[in-house]
Order: sequence, then C-alpha cells, then structure tokens
Amino acid sequence: MAPTFYHDDPKWSNIKPIPQNDTARPLAAIAYTDEYSEAMSYLRAVMAKNEYSHRVLGLTDHIISMNPAHYTIWLYRFKVLSELHADLREEIAWLNVTALKHLKNYQIWHHRQTVIDKLGSPEGEADFIATMLQQDTKNYHVWSYRQFLVQRFGLFDDEGELKWTEGMIEEDVRNNSAWNHRYFLVFGGKGEQTADKAIVERELNYAKAAIKKAPQNQSSWNYLRGVVRRNKLPTSTLKDFALEFADIEKPDDVTSSYALDTLADIYTEYQSKREEAKKALDLLATRYDPVRAHYWNYRKRLLE
Amino acid sequence: MAGQTSVPAPSSRLQEIVSDSNRIEELSDTDNEYADEYEDVGTVVDQHEAANMAYINSMISPIRDSLETETSITQDETLAVVLPFLEGNPNDFLLNTFGLPKLQREKHAAFLHQALGDYPAQMAAMDAARPWLVYWSLQGLTALGYDISDMRDRIVETFLPSQHPDGGYGGGHGQLPHLAATYAAVLSLVMAGGTTAYESVNRKSMWHYLGRMKQVDGGFTMAPGGEEDIRGAFCALVVMSLLNIPLDLPPDAPARAHGMTTFLDKLGEWVSRCQTFEGGISAAPGNEAHGAYAFCGLGCLSIMGPPTETLNKYFDMPLLLHWLSSRQCSPEGGYNGRTNKLVDGCYSHWVGSCWPLVEAAVGKEVSNRSALARYILSAAQHKKGGLIDKPGKRADAYHTCYNLAGLSAAQHKNVYDEATAPDIGKSELGAPFGWKVDGLFEGERVWGDEDFVEEVHPIFVIPYQAAEDCRRYFEAKEGF
Repeated sequence: MAPTFYHDDPKWSNIKPIPQNDTARPLAAIAYTDEYSEAMSYLRAVMAKNEYSHRVLGLTDHIISMNPAHYTIWLYRFKVLSELHADLREEIAWLNVTALKHLKNYQIWHHRQTVIDKLGSPEGEADFIATMLQQDTKNYHVWSYRQFLVQRFGLFDDEGELKWTEGMIEEDVRNNSAWNHRYFLVFGGKGEQTADKAIVERELNYAKAAIKKAPQNQSSWNYLRGVVRRNKLPTSTLKDFALEFADIEKPDDVTSSYALDTLADIYTEYQSKREEAKKALDLLATRYDPVRAHYWNYRKRLLE
Repeated sequence: MAGQTSVPAPSSRLQEIVSDSNRIEELSDTDNEYADEYEDVGTVVDQHEAANMAYINSMISPIRDSLETETSITQDETLAVVLPFLEGNPNDFLLNTFGLPKLQREKHAAFLHQALGDYPAQMAAMDAARPWLVYWSLQGLTALGYDISDMRDRIVETFLPSQHPDGGYGGGHGQLPHLAATYAAVLSLVMAGGTTAYESVNRKSMWHYLGRMKQVDGGFTMAPGGEEDIRGAFCALVVMSLLNIPLDLPPDAPARAHGMTTFLDKLGEWVSRCQTFEGGISAAPGNEAHGAYAFCGLGCLSIMGPPTETLNKYFDMPLLLHWLSSRQCSPEGGYNGRTNKLVDGCYSHWVGSCWPLVEAAVGKEVSNRSALARYILSAAQHKKGGLIDKPGKRADAYHTCYNLAGLSAAQHKNVYDEATAPDIGKSELGAPFGWKVDGLFEGERVWGDEDFVEEVHPIFVIPYQAAEDCRRYFEAKEGF
C-alpha cells in the first residue's frame, strides 16, 4: 500500500504539524518511517487544539494501522467519536477486523469496552469473544472484557452465559480462565450474600465431576475448595471425596496431590488429627510435590 | 472410581526420564568400580548431565492424568523444549561449580546496551513503550553491576519531551500521560540520580495528574479515560513514595467531589477485592489471579505500610501463600503466571519477587529459590545474550530485566526492619525504606560466586541506594 501523507493534502493545509521534539541523543529512539513521523506530527497538532473531526478520525485509523499499541491514539479516538456522536455500531464493526490482528493489546480491549459501555448493549459481543478465544483460549484481556460485559449488563444469572462457560470447560477442563469466569458468574455478583443451597450443591457436584475426569488438575480443585470456603462449609465436607484420590494409609496409591493437600487442611483443623496432617504434608514434600517441599514443611511447622 | 478414570499414563518423555533415573542410579551404584574408566571417557560434562537428570527426577511429581487437553498438550510440548536445557548445556556456556551455565554477564550487558540504542522503523509498535525500554535496560545493567552514571544526561534528556504539561509522563512527546510510562520514566530518572534528574520531574503537576487518576472505588486508572487496574494503584504509589508526594488529594481531584480526601481512601479495600477464590491477585475485582498483578498488589500494600501489617490486614495470607507456591512449575523450576499456564522467565520476578514481601509478613522462608535459579541460569539465558521467556524465544529487555531481578531476589535476603534507614521514610508512604539486604541466601546454592546479581530493592525494583537517595533529596526539600 502506498504511504499516506498530509503535507500536500489540501484538506490538511490549515494544520501546522508539530514534529517530535526529541533531544539530540535520546535513548531507545525509533527510526520512524516518514509516513509514521508525519502522521504523528499532525496528530500532535490536532490534539493541541482539541480538534474532534472526521478527518481526525481518519488520522487515528491511519496511525493505529501502523502502531496499534498507541494508547494515546485510542483514547483520543474515543473522544473524537463521542464529540462527533458517531455511529458506535460502525466503530464495533471496524474494531472486529482490527482486533483479530492484535489479540494481546490492552488498548484495543479497553477501547471496545468504552464503546460498548456507551452503546449500552452487549449484542453480538458474546459471539465475537468466542471467535477471539478460539485463537487463544486463555487470553487475559478477552476474559476480563467478558467479565466487564457480565457486570455491566447484569448477566450473572444468564443461562446462556453459564452454558457457554461450561462449554469452554468441557473443551479443556484445565482452562483456569474458564473456571474463574464460572466462579465470577455464580458468586461474583452476590457480594457477601449467601448463595442458594441448591446452587452450592450444583457447583460442588460440577467441580467433583470435573475432578474425576482429571484428578491432577488444580483448576477444578481450586474451584471446589473456593466454593466450600465462600459458602462457609466445613472443610471436612470434602473428606470422603478427597479420600477417593489420596489416603495417607495407602501412600503408594495417590492419584491427586491436590487431594492430599485438601486432606492436610482437613486434618489440620482437628487437634487430634495433627499426625495425619503431618503425614499428608510429608508425602507432598518428599514424594508427590517435591518442588514445593519448603512450603509443605512450612505448613508442617505451623502445626507444631 | 478415580482410578478407573485416571490411570496414570506417563508420556514417552516421562518414561524416558524414569529410565534415565534408573541408569543414573546404576552408575552411582557402581561408581567406585568404574570411577577411573568414567573419568577417562572424558567428561565432566557427562557427570553434570547425570547430576542434572538426577535432580530433575527428584523434582518431578509421579502423578499424571491420562486425559489430554489443549493445556496438557502445550505443557508437554513446553517441557520437551525446556528439558534439554535443564539436563545439558545446548548453548555451550561455561559451567559454574554446580554444573550449571554461568551467568553470561558481558553478553547480557552488551544486549542491554543495544536495547538502549536505536530501533528500526518496524519497531514503531514500541513507540508508546519507550520509557519501558529505557527502564528495563537500565535496571538490567545495574543488576549486572554496571555503572550507568555516564548516561545520566541522556536519561534526563530522553524524558524531557515525554513529560506532559498537565503532569505525568507519556510514552513520548505529545502522548497522553499514562501511569505505566510515568512509572518507567520516574524509575529511570531515580536510577540516573542527581539534582538535574530529580528536578526534571514536575512534582506539582504530577500530584495533580495522580489526583485525576484516583477513582471513587479506591483504585486508579492508568490514563485519563483509561483502564482501571491494579497496575495503576501500584505505579501511583511507587511514584508517590519515591518522589515524596503529598498523600492529600489535590483540590482538583474528581474523587474529592465524592468525599475522598487522600490517595489511600478505600485503596486497601480495593486491592483486597482483587484477591480471588484461588488466593492469587487479579488485575481488577473478578478477574483471574495472575502473577504480575500479584506483585503489583503486594507492592502497593507494602508501600501503604509495613507488610507485616498491611498484607495480613487486606489479604488472606495462607491462601495467597498456597497460590504463590503453586506458581512454581515442576520440574522446570521457573514460575508460571496462572494456574495451568506455562513457565515464563518474566515471572522469575513477578512471582519470585513476591516472596520477600510475603515472607516478611509471615516470618518464614517458603519458596524454592534454587529451583528458580536453575531455570534462569539453564533455560532463560539466550546464547547470544539477553534473557528469555523459555528456550526458543527471542531475548528482549523485558525478560532480561525480570529474570535478573528474580535471580537477585533468590540470591539475597531482603528483609523488612523498621530501623533500617533511620533518617528517611518516617513520613508518608515511607515503609519501603524499611527494607535492607541481610546477607546472602543460606540454603542450597546453584550459583557460583561469579553468578551474583546486585541487590535490588524488593518493591521499587531499582538499586536500594538510588531509591534512598531520591527520597532523601525530596524529604529535605521544602514544598514542590
């Protein structure tokens, strides 16, 4: 594509560009192309006089195509869109194309968030996110954006949202981002409020079923333990379940170090079970999770 | 039940490890008998490899699920890439007395000097991140023991055009102020040191800028109209503590209209809400726990007050400890950033440097420093200089800076002691000046005397002296 310049464009003749005023020997200097350099000089000039116009919108488009990580351009672009009362649906359509090219970019997601926030409707967003996650199933920005949508549009109890999340976990039971999203959906909107008994039961069963598929998976164990803790159930609720995967009496047959960890916590709660707790922690330190031996031994010392 | 669905099925690679381990045992059993012959075959290198393999075998968990998913597949692929570097020495580096690659000090320094130089046009995507490039490179160089004072003038000049007239720093001339850019610029100037560098910062307009970032819920946004996340809270407090900026919100701060009076209003509570059900800390309430945000959260609270008080007040520490120790990958030894994610050298700092802060609050040493150092020395050094995410990746200033910071935190004992700097830090946000290095790590060492990285301040991630000099300067100064 031929470079775009502004200095010989009559539409821009009333703008006096402001060149970058770097000193003689700046550190980490970039040898910009003439095209980028000039576009930035025009941007500095229009920003200095707070111009919000269609031509500036085009200028931001141009710079973003050369450097999508330019937060200043994105923030200014949103201001221009707002001042012009631009069609934000059109902006989303444009973003859909741009976002696919630049997945790991803070700015683009924040921009999308502010646009959707202003639009006041999450329509189409779920599908878009699903497409994005196909490329990177644990992308932090995408999941955080999804959480924004849930919060902003009150989708905590939305059945479709829960189903979709379940699908993501189904696809990869070790996708921790999906588990985190599930927790956010089920408990995130409730604050300190107690959850329905039936829902707590459902969540415990869901996590247990996932653990049975892959017992050595910390995501599902963290979820299970998180549900127990949040709903103030006694840790011992999980004793029988944990025993299915680890039993200190059968130290050779442990199929989940997380079950052993859970048992250690359960035994720790009872004065009379201190020795059992130590045994579980010993197994972790010496055999089933030796990289964390210092940590397990620290837990052991707390018992003394 | 569980047994049926999860028969442990070691991968072929794991089987290989196990059989290697048998071989090693055989070797050591017959060590006396064949000792001479073994020596003759030649090579200390083989002995080192055998020792490394024995170590890896001792670190690996014997449990493995049979169910394959994208996560387990990418984890296996990663391990296959990393293991040869943990076992042997594919880069042909000189080895230290522990049989691990020496710290390639000169190569890394050369890489960082280059990172401070000119970039080609294709690097325009870094235009808003230039302050970071400068900070990472300077910090990396000081960690390697290099004097950067000859660059002092250039550092000051570099940031003059990026200081915004309304306060704070942007990525460059004409860019809006941003807390990440402000953080990197201020740290660079503090490292440069001296009156000219200090006085180049407009602290009064900085105060107003920070005031505009303060949000009603207690947190901070990164830029005007930008995202609110825990980086904002951390970066703002780092800048305020170093520059000794008043805790009272400026009169024009929008949060004042909502009854707030200081930068710390509701901040502890906001950070506390970032702790997730897993125990880790997320970018913002509701998001997933993540290593880099954990460091920001811990750092923020450790600036607000002594970690012994603030961490225990706002975090569930047993849960945080559990999550933090879970970040160490086995057998890689390096850290990942989230549950079920891959090892990455940058978390040597983001997670590794959480430990001094956490250990100050719980009073015990709980991390595995030697496993981390093994990963850094063996797997995170690029053959041509600079440090990396994992073998096969390109070196960059970011991974170089943070691998080195993590190595420093592993080698030195950073401890909190209020009596540390009796002449400074007694006023607002002075807690970070209660840190000092209390000798070297005394546990199992895997680094030689020539592999030491300099002491790094556990919260500011710059040299201690640089941080203290700056604070002292502004404490002595009247007004802005």
